[in-house]
Amino acid sequence: MEQTAAFEDDRLNLALNRALTGDAQAFADLVREHQGMVFSIAYHFLQDRSLAEDLAQEVFLELFQSIDRIQSPAHLTYWLRRVTANRCIDQGRKKHRRREMALEEAPEPMVASAHADPMLLERLQQSLATLPERQRLVVIMRFQEGLGPAEIAEVLEMPVNTVKSTLHRSLADLRKGLTRKIREVRYAFF
Amino acid sequence: MHFSEDDLREALKRKDPGEGFTQRTMARVNQAGTEGTKQPATKKANGKFLAWWMLRPAWAMAVVAVLLLAFGIGGYQYSEYRHAEEMRMARVKQQQLQQEAERARDQAIMALEIARAKMNHVLRHAQLQAEPNDKIRRERL
Repeated sequence: MEQTAAFEDDRLNLALNRALTGDAQAFADLVREHQGMVFSIAYHFLQDRSLAEDLAQEVFLELFQSIDRIQSPAHLTYWLRRVTANRCIDQGRKKHRRREMALEEAPEPMVASAHADPMLLERLQQSLATLPERQRLVVIMRFQEGLGPAEIAEVLEMPVNTVKSTLHRSLADLRKGLTRKIREVRYAFF
Repeated sequence: MHFSEDDLREALKRKDPGEGFTQRTMARVNQAGTEGTKQPATKKANGKFLAWWMLRPAWAMAVVAVLLLAFGIGGYQYSEYRHAEEMRMARVKQQQLQQEAERARDQAIMALEIARAKMNHVLRHAQLQAEPNDKIRRERL
């Protein structure tokens, strides 16, 4: 396992070094490697596939222009998370939109694990979209990227204690939001 | 409805941007590369600066508030300084006037003294002229 990780790191290091010399293929490898992360952060934040793709492309374009500032694969991941988060907030403020999703824009069905309830997962995503921007990003960084409070604090430029309290509050808000939705559904039925 | 952290992880699982994302991104990168990298860099810097205002209105308001406060305090201190300076100048002028007045009074007193001495001298001479006796006059002189 460790050997695979070391090999992966070497591969990325090599791709990064080649990309620094202007190798387009190496840059494409870097994009392929990180596109899932960047796109997912944008998608979970914006809840809009085309906007998320556009934003992810802009992030990679910015990476292309600033590639000489990237020092290592770890720094690259950190840089991408940070720039994506900033652009998400920027985009969110620009649009001032709440989640309005057409049926055809709906995300592709996830490969749900054995215990996951698809309805619950959808409701969770809907509730996430109602959270304020910073809270949403903290939740995404914690549960999509699996970052700890200190890492989230670094990426989002927030104090660690603020991250912890924001995370706590976000989970409480998500629970409250879910309960409210269930009540609405009950009233609609009965 | 309750959910666990695992449910949240499942809901926020990474998603694939779909077929051709890398190609589309690379096409955009190549297009930007052919248009020249210098120009976008400047544009980006401007955008960032503008974005700063748009992203952090609270910070912008705080900066404006601090500037206003600084200008206010600066203005108040300057007016205080001006007032103190005017008062000092007035005091100096008053002292100068007082000194000049004292000097004029001293000169006037001296002039009166001189005039008094001369008058006495003339008076004494006049009285002596009136004395018939030359001897007595010489004695008195």
